[in-house]
Amino acid sequence: MTLVMQILVDGFVISSLYALGAIGFTIIFGVSGVLNLAHGGILVVAAMVAWYMGANLGLGVYPACLVGILAGIVMAYLTYYLVVSPIERSRRIPAEEKEIFILTATLLWGIMIQEMLAYIFSSNPISVPRLVPGITNVFGVHTPTNELAIGVVSWLVILGLWFFVNKTRFGKAILAASINPRGVSLLGFELSSIHRLVWGLYGLLAGLAGVLLATFIGASPTNVGDLTASAFIIVILGGLGSVPGSLLAAYIIGFIETLTAYLSDPSYRTLPALFMLIIVIYLRPQGLFGRR
Amino acid sequence: MSKFLRSYRFWITVVAIAFMAILPIKASGYILGVLTMAYYFGVFAMSWDLLFGYAGEVNFGPTFLIGLGAYGAGMLNSYTPLPMWLCVIAGAAIAVVGGVALALPALRLRGPYFGLMTLVAVLLLLQFIVIFAGSTGGEIGLAVPDVLSISTDANYYYALVFMLISGGILFAVSRSPLGLILQATGQDPIAAQAMGFNITKHKLFAFCLSAFFSGLAGALMIFYLGTASVNTVVDLAVAIQIIIAAVLGGRRTIIGGALGAIFLIVAGELLRPIGELSNFVVATVALLVLLFVPDGFLGAVLKRRAGL
Amino acid sequence: MKEYRKSGRGLALGAGLALALGAAVGFSPISAHAAAKAPIKIGVIAPFSAIDGISIVNAAEMATDDINAHGGIDGRKIELLKYDDHASAADGVRAFQRAVKQDHVVAVVGTFISEVALAVEPWAARLHEPFLITGAASDQITNLVREHYAQYKYVFHANLNSTFLGDVVCAQSHAILVKDFHYKTAVVMSENAAWTKPLDDEYLKCLPKAGLKVVDHIRFSPNTTDFTPIFNKIEDTHANVIITGIAHVGVKPTIQWHDQQVPALLAGWSSQAGASTFWKDTNGATEGVITGNLGAPGAALTPKSNPFSSAYVKRYKTTPAYNSYTTFDAFYILKDAIERAHSTKANALVSALEKTNYVGTIGREQFYGRTAKYAHGFKFGKGYVTGVAIQWQDGQQKIIWPTHAATAKPILPKWLKPKK
Repeated sequence: MTLVMQILVDGFVISSLYALGAIGFTIIFGVSGVLNLAHGGILVVAAMVAWYMGANLGLGVYPACLVGILAGIVMAYLTYYLVVSPIERSRRIPAEEKEIFILTATLLWGIMIQEMLAYIFSSNPISVPRLVPGITNVFGVHTPTNELAIGVVSWLVILGLWFFVNKTRFGKAILAASINPRGVSLLGFELSSIHRLVWGLYGLLAGLAGVLLATFIGASPTNVGDLTASAFIIVILGGLGSVPGSLLAAYIIGFIETLTAYLSDPSYRTLPALFMLIIVIYLRPQGLFGRR
Repeated sequence: MSKFLRSYRFWITVVAIAFMAILPIKASGYILGVLTMAYYFGVFAMSWDLLFGYAGEVNFGPTFLIGLGAYGAGMLNSYTPLPMWLCVIAGAAIAVVGGVALALPALRLRGPYFGLMTLVAVLLLLQFIVIFAGSTGGEIGLAVPDVLSISTDANYYYALVFMLISGGILFAVSRSPLGLILQATGQDPIAAQAMGFNITKHKLFAFCLSAFFSGLAGALMIFYLGTASVNTVVDLAVAIQIIIAAVLGGRRTIIGGALGAIFLIVAGELLRPIGELSNFVVATVALLVLLFVPDGFLGAVLKRRAGL
Repeated sequence: MKEYRKSGRGLALGAGLALALGAAVGFSPISAHAAAKAPIKIGVIAPFSAIDGISIVNAAEMATDDINAHGGIDGRKIELLKYDDHASAADGVRAFQRAVKQDHVVAVVGTFISEVALAVEPWAARLHEPFLITGAASDQITNLVREHYAQYKYVFHANLNSTFLGDVVCAQSHAILVKDFHYKTAVVMSENAAWTKPLDDEYLKCLPKAGLKVVDHIRFSPNTTDFTPIFNKIEDTHANVIITGIAHVGVKPTIQWHDQQVPALLAGWSSQAGASTFWKDTNGATEGVITGNLGAPGAALTPKSNPFSSAYVKRYKTTPAYNSYTTFDAFYILKDAIERAHSTKANALVSALEKTNYVGTIGREQFYGRTAKYAHGFKFGKGYVTGVAIQWQDGQQKIIWPTHAATAKPILPKWLKPKK
């Protein structure tokens, strides 16, 4: 019985974190068609800035985390203005190759972020103090309260996002842009201002995910590639550009990993999820919720 | 042919090869060691270009093929009495088998989905190496008993000859009718299919060829180093370096891949004094080239000539 | 005639690049006609960005400056050459080749990770280069020397091997965990790496003899990020203590152990916990953690221990790691051997090194003979190198074993109680 509870609690926490990390990634693709392979870099920047503010500049945990999230937003805009936008506008790059160029360029950008972080902060793993200290007993399972808080915050953000997209004017414009970019101008919005807004939203989500990650399992510049890969996997499994798909995929992968870690061996953690991914993509290349 | 013999390109080629061949007389062991690695890397990048440049598939998984060849050969050498050259051939064969196993399902997919499939292949291989650390040496590496040679000059010539032969074959393939068909399928798969080409068959062949040379190069490289380790032959960072090399040199040129690889490795060595920042500088240069010279070094030169 | 167009231009660029390189060839190495006062070159290989890698480089710098300030080796100064192996076997091999073939160093000292040391070892044999291993611990290092002495005689293991590290922990565990805390059961939890294989074998053998029943044995992958499942499993066994074998990781398991308040003490071997920065790295989660070490500030194992550790702390603002002690001593062992051999030639140096009898910072240092089980390894036990146990108490590393060097009594983190 405790084992079942352990798996449920642990799976919920890790899946919520995965979901938060992947949502921004999928929204950016849905709206502007960009697969940002520097994603992990943005998460780690937010995590390390929050850590630095707290541990070296003596800021409290909450202000430090806010600065970390801010750093995530700044990084998202830098990614857009320095890397993505020049390629989208370039006349030297043929239109059908832009996707490949953005993939490669953001990949390089991710490496630049990783190397810069390692240079400034070293590649030793860091950890941000818990937002909520203490231990909660969830039906017999000792769980750090902080982990439960991570799950709750993730869901509040997801609900907030749902509200924003469905109930506000800007949100509706984003939704429209993801369906038909040309239709947006009919609603009275510039497509470029939608893009600016979406990249800011993306930075916020990635920054938050990075900071929460740092309070739970910590972060290090060497994680950049793994974090990008895991978001990429979740988003493709869910169907590119589909937010509900990404949520579902995050939970599927999170729970399969947790089940594997508890029932067989923590070392095998990622294997079954990867195999399942191959099978799903083979049978249904557009992902669970994707449009062809 | 006589026109070819009189063309300046032919003579530049001869001079360049001759220069590389006589380099050991004058160059120090250190420079030769750097170039030896660069030549193996050049083969990685050229193999990747055949698939990416010509067949138009974003392959994030070159190190899946290289890693299979390297670890296949290395483990055979460690755990069986097979002679080294047999291990190298077996490594290349394992890479081809692995390549087919990956290609058959993956070639049904396009764009990011194909990319993801190749990415997952690398992650799986990495996981297996880490899980079976007892026999693979895990994340740090596997020491192999045999080495190609302990002489710097001999190692240099092995790598040089290997790069020239593989480059020649890959280049010939890319210029053959097969290469043109691959290029056509990469740019407009529907039109190519309408013309009656069996796209999958051609792409599969390209994949096998790419796998063969990647695996062979991986196997030879570990017998040069005397060790196989994840961060020289499997890690995503290596895959990224290969992609950077091919893009820098110029896609759809094959030879550009080798140039890009030599540039990257040599630049990495020259920048060694600035320490940890060297990778940052290399990535920045690559990004700038990508943004401002999207055709790469060789592509840009060719385009300019074509315009004249 | 389109076939060769691109290749021609490609190779033209290649030729340009090759020419640029050719210009660099001009700097061929200065011929090594050693003038009487030419410096003696010694190489150090380590992963610079790891806590337990830079500690090797720091100690090498200190030893070099120290020896040079006191007249050098037979009047010749040491020139230290540093190589980063990035914790990678291939980079380690390349660095070693460069050190020997390009820079012509007399001997190489290093490195931290066993897999890297084991990959470099055959090159020491092939290139006939003395190699003093001061950070890696795997028993395989000395096995190679014993089995193929003629080839591998150039390798010396100037560190305790994993089996001995296991013995150090068992001795400490008997004195502290069993006698003071009345603990009875333990879980062995080690990272999956070459050095922990003999360590775990020794743990499983000697912990029961020390009075701790091993109720579970976990080997985790060094890239594990979430330790919750592992700690939950351990909690289910109701073990009193977790005996660790961790060096490549350290921060993550310690923080998660503390945050989850795992009801079992963390003790054993946790290399990173030996560094004073570990308190800050873990935000204080390391309170109560016990780890073995070879030396520690304040532990007067020999007259040289405290002068070294306080000079190190003063210079680098952090405590020396286990491999700082061994690396610092390795330079003095080399100095001693070169002076006795009156030569820097490999074979003469090897014979002199075999006769080493040097009181270093962590005990009397001698190497086992060529036919011994641990050929060319550090002698372990009373009168030689014995190790210490340190515990994090209130932001400080306290020595809690052996008793004659102890600076504090062992304590328990606040959520744990001694058994009756």
